Amino acid sequence: MTATATPRVPVSRDPRVSPLSRLTASPVLRLVVKRLLMAIPIMLGVTVLTFWVLSLIPGNAAQQLLGPEATPEDIALLEQQLGLDKPGVVRYFDWLQGAVTGDLGNSLVSRQPVSEILSARLPVTAELVFLAFVVSLVLAVPVALLAAHKPGGVMDRISMMISTLGLSVANYVLALLLVLVFAVSLGWLPAIGYTPLEDGLWANLRGMILPSAAIGFPLFCYYTRFLRGDLVDQMQQEEYVTTARAKGVGSWAVLIKHAFRNSSFGLITIVGLNLGALIGGTVIIEQIFALPGIGQMLLQAINTRDFVVVQAAVVIFALVAVVANLVVDLLYAVLDPRIRYGSR
Amino acid sequence: MSSKRTAAFPAEDATVSEGVIVPETAGRHRPATAASPGEPLLVVEDLRVQFTRGGRKINAVNGLSYELAPGSMLAIIGESGSGKSVSSRALMGLLPPTAKISGSVRFDGRDLLGLSEREMQSLRGGDIAMVFQDPARSLNPTMKIGAQITEAVRLHSDLDKKGAQARAVELLKLVRLPAAERRFHEYPHQLSGGMRQRVMIAIALAGEPRLLIADEATTALDVTTQAQIMELLVELQQRLGMAVIMISHDLGLAASYAQDVVVMYAGRAVEYAPTKVLFANVRMPYTHALLGAIPALDREPHSLFEVTPGQPPDLSALPKGCPFRPRCSNATDQCLEMPPFTEHDPEHWFACWHPVGSGTGKHTANGEQR
Ligand SMILES: Nc1ncnc2c1ncn2[C@@H]1O[C@H](COP(=O)(O)OP(=O)(O)OP(=O)(O)O)[C@@H](O)[C@H]1O
Ligand code: SF4
Ligand SMILES: [Mg+2]
Repeated sequence: MTATATPRVPVSRDPRVSPLSRLTASPVLRLVVKRLLMAIPIMLGVTVLTFWVLSLIPGNAAQQLLGPEATPEDIALLEQQLGLDKPGVVRYFDWLQGAVTGDLGNSLVSRQPVSEILSARLPVTAELVFLAFVVSLVLAVPVALLAAHKPGGVMDRISMMISTLGLSVANYVLALLLVLVFAVSLGWLPAIGYTPLEDGLWANLRGMILPSAAIGFPLFCYYTRFLRGDLVDQMQQEEYVTTARAKGVGSWAVLIKHAFRNSSFGLITIVGLNLGALIGGTVIIEQIFALPGIGQMLLQAINTRDFVVVQAAVVIFALVAVVANLVVDLLYAVLDPRIRYGSR
Repeated sequence: MSSKRTAAFPAEDATVSEGVIVPETAGRHRPATAASPGEPLLVVEDLRVQFTRGGRKINAVNGLSYELAPGSMLAIIGESGSGKSVSSRALMGLLPPTAKISGSVRFDGRDLLGLSEREMQSLRGGDIAMVFQDPARSLNPTMKIGAQITEAVRLHSDLDKKGAQARAVELLKLVRLPAAERRFHEYPHQLSGGMRQRVMIAIALAGEPRLLIADEATTALDVTTQAQIMELLVELQQRLGMAVIMISHDLGLAASYAQDVVVMYAGRAVEYAPTKVLFANVRMPYTHALLGAIPALDREPHSLFEVTPGQPPDLSALPKGCPFRPRCSNATDQCLEMPPFTEHDPEHWFACWHPVGSGTGKHTANGEQR
């Protein structure tokens, strides 16, 4: 018998190892450092690309600000004030220089510091995404478990029907439907607008229910489908499930204690990968529901050719995607024993 | 209820029995054979299992019958696909709902096929336990092995969590897992194949079963480990007085350990006898062919050697009459009719019109061809 000699104690606990090599020896820390280093070229890539695409759109912030009646002289003067007369490359590096030192610059249009704009708008988008995420996940898990307990049963068929429907409807169509039913016909919830949290939790939530439902429902459908499929696969194909059943474990306990535990890794991946697409989805939903979030800010900034603000939004989106992937990998490292001890 | 018994197994005395296994109890607890009088523990009669897949009917088990005395070891031998796993999973109610099961399975006087899922559940891992072929896949990769054993202990005893954990460590010692206390906190991937199979056996023993089904429990292991696990199973069988069904491809393995042998072909029992009786006088041409393949030392253990030219029949289109006919050198037109499975000699059952040694076929009594 060859013992697979896996050290129980992580290497980093060895007192003889120097702090520096301890840092690189810890698989978790190595992962974090690696991902953050990888984020740098990603950030550079997306900002360069955004800058270039914006420069292809006719018009600039000066023209947008002064309107169609403005004389060429006025426009030239404002361009000079805003620094828009400089070549694109120079403008990009000016912006980059500020950005790496933490100064994201001022809006070309409102002259407000971008950091101020972000601190006002980020909470709105974050709340929207958070609600959509949590609610969809909290609902998807029990529904998927119910469906997977009896594949082909009533619960399974109902949940599959709903989720197929949910996945085939675009979220803006769903948003309009929700407004039509719950705001216009029933009058239960406001159709548009945002109430800050300071004005009361309920007032704030009332405004967020429809937009987060519009984002969360397709997510719920997606998670339910994925999890149900993975659970059924585990139950039908994995031998450890047969072992559990042969032990006398009841069917629900096999599903929840054994299969779900293994399916959760796949679910975490899906959730993490989804986050990027989800943030993209907020742009249109914030527009429909007139929510003053990052997505709405991005659309307005594109219209006014306010490249400083656009860059800020793009950086935020990219950062969220990178961090989400990192969090998924870290969760894996924490939850999956095969990775936790650095052996496979 | 028998599943709530609390009497512990004799605890392992590690100083006496590290390494070599000395079956000091052998002989005293000599298990009964199929021949011995008294109530059998398990009676399988005309067991049939049919699957439907894509509109085709797959006849995986086609009238399987055997008996098992308390505390004895029965080997079920047959080629891949002969229905060994399906028939034993049918006993435990572990087949998917697509399986149509008929016949009768009496365990300790109770008809298992008529039990409700609840009743079956308390029997599974309690009176009847099972060990599977692939220890790499049979344990939950995300649970510590201690938790996996403790779970089984708690399901079949009144012990609280602490007591069940202590019992689980005891079980790990019983199956001779080295450093049981430390391994208790480890995950399956940290153990070797042989150690994992010991853990599987510990799980199976958690409910103090009266019947243990080992479905090719040693097939996935290397030769040395295989022998160790087999020795362990035999030792436990004798110490704990449980009956064992040992499923294997390997007739030689059966000969060394089991009291009785069932040879399966295409979902049927084709020969069934106490091991000694069988090896003294093999009658069924298929068993004969299996036997002929044993001495080849150069073949991989448990490899799917071709015992005789040809393929096992398609289970959704079984040939008319004896299923072995297309591959049988003794076959005549009479074999187009199904040979009955009967007790031709005392304790010796087989299904064949022209058995080896009867003079009507090409095989002779001493096993030489032509
Ligand atoms: N769920 C199922 N659906 C359809 N057919 C099945 C199912 N399970 C098993 N079978 C078929 O039943 C037959 C018998 O399978 P079984 O697993 O009992 O063979 P076995 O004797 O255990 O073989 P091996 O030595 O390879 O383990 C095979 O042909 C297999 O394809
Ligand atoms: S019944 Fe006929 S075909 Fe079948 S094993 Fe006997 S001799 Fe061969
Ligand atoms: Mg099998």
